[in-house]
Amino acid sequence: MRDTYLWLLQLVTGAIIAVFLAVHMVMMHLDNIVGFFGGHISEPSSWSSMIDRAKEGWWLTFYIIFLALVLYHAIYGLRGIVLEVIPSGRTERVMTGMIWAVGLGAFALGVYASAHLFTR
Amino acid sequence: MDTVKQIRFRIQRYNPEDGAAPRLAEFVVPAPRGMTVLDGLFYIRDNLDSTLAVRSSCRMAICGSCAMLINDFPHLACHTQIAELEADTIEVRPLPNFTIIKDLVVDLTPLFEKHTTTKPYFIRSEVEEMENPTAEFLQTPEDLDAYLQFSYCIKCGLCMAACPTVATDRLFLGPQALAQCYRYCGDSRDDGANERFPTVDREHGMWGCHLAGACSEACPKGVDPALAIQLLKRLRVSRALGLGRKRRPTPLASPPTARQPKLPVPEFTVKVNGKPS
Repeated sequence: MRDTYLWLLQLVTGAIIAVFLAVHMVMMHLDNIVGFFGGHISEPSSWSSMIDRAKEGWWLTFYIIFLALVLYHAIYGLRGIVLEVIPSGRTERVMTGMIWAVGLGAFALGVYASAHLFTR
Repeated sequence: MDTVKQIRFRIQRYNPEDGAAPRLAEFVVPAPRGMTVLDGLFYIRDNLDSTLAVRSSCRMAICGSCAMLINDFPHLACHTQIAELEADTIEVRPLPNFTIIKDLVVDLTPLFEKHTTTKPYFIRSEVEEMENPTAEFLQTPEDLDAYLQFSYCIKCGLCMAACPTVATDRLFLGPQALAQCYRYCGDSRDDGANERFPTVDREHGMWGCHLAGACSEACPKGVDPALAIQLLKRLRVSRALGLGRKRRPTPLASPPTARQPKLPVPEFTVKVNGKPS
C-alpha cells in the first residue's frame, strides 16, 4: 500500500511539475517569445528582477511549492534507481533515511533562502 | 528443388563443472528451407558434437523449453527459422539473467519461484466449492477478453531474459510473474487481488517496471507482459484510492436441471413406453 501511494505521488508530482516548469520557463527564459505575443518581461534573469520577484508573495508560494514537487519527484526517482542497482533491505533502509535527510535539508534551505529574500 | 545453404553456428559452450570460461564453438550446418534453429542444434548434436547440451520438448512453441539468445535477441529456437534471420552466421547463447546449467540450458527455478509467489490460481471465499467443484463460474465474453491474452504465457523465460530491470535487480519479480498476477487479478471469476497485492505492491514488484517494453517484444505468444503490468498498476492504484467499478466475483452457474420440453414432442419421434427415447 505504501509503495502504491509513493509511486502515485511521483506520477502526480510529475504532472504538476510539467505545468509549473512551463510557467517558470516562460517567465525566466522565453521573454523574447512573450514579447512576440505582445507581453513584456523586463530582463527576467537579472539580479534586480529576481529580488523583485522574491518579494512577491505569489512567486514565493509558487517557488516553494515547485521546490517541494521537484525534490520529491527527483529523490524518489533516485531511490528507485539505487534500489534497483543495489537491491537489498539494508539499501532500502539507508536510502529512505538519506532521502528524508537530504530532502528535508534541501527543502529547509530553499524555504530559508526564499523567506530571507522575501523579508529583506 | 530447394537450395541448401551452409550456415555457420557459433554456439556458446560452458560447463560450470569444468571451471573453464565460456567459449564460442563453431559448426557448419547444411540448412534447407524451413529448417529452424532448433533443427540446426539437433543436427549438430546428432552429427557433429553429441556433448552439446540443449533443452527442448514440443518443437512447436508450446512448451517453452528451447528459449535462448539467438543473434543477441531472445527467441524460442523451435519458433525461429534460419531463413528469417537472413544471416550466414548464427550466434546462439543461453538466456541471460539466468544461471547456466550447461551450454544452452539455463536454470529456470527463479522464474517458477517468483511465479509461485504471486499465487497464480483462483482465490475465492467459497473454500468448499474450490476444493470440490460442483459447477462452473459464469463469465461473459467481455470478461474473458480482459485476461485471455495474458493466459497464453508458456513460462519460457524469454521476457525475463529481455527485461533490463531483471538484469540489474535480482529481487525484481519480473514481467512473467507480474503479468500472471494480473492474469488472475483481472479475471472476473477471481477474488484474490488483495491476497496477491502484498507480494507485488513493493519496490521490487510492479513499481520496479520501467515500461521498457522489451518483454512484450520478446514474447513469442503475444502475451504483452508490459501491458499486463501497467493494468496491474492501474488496478492497484484504483483499489487504493477507492476508484473504479467495484465488482464482486462472478457467481456459480446454476446446476443443470431436468426440464419439461417447451415444444411438443413431434409425432415422428421414436417413443419407448410412451416417452421419447
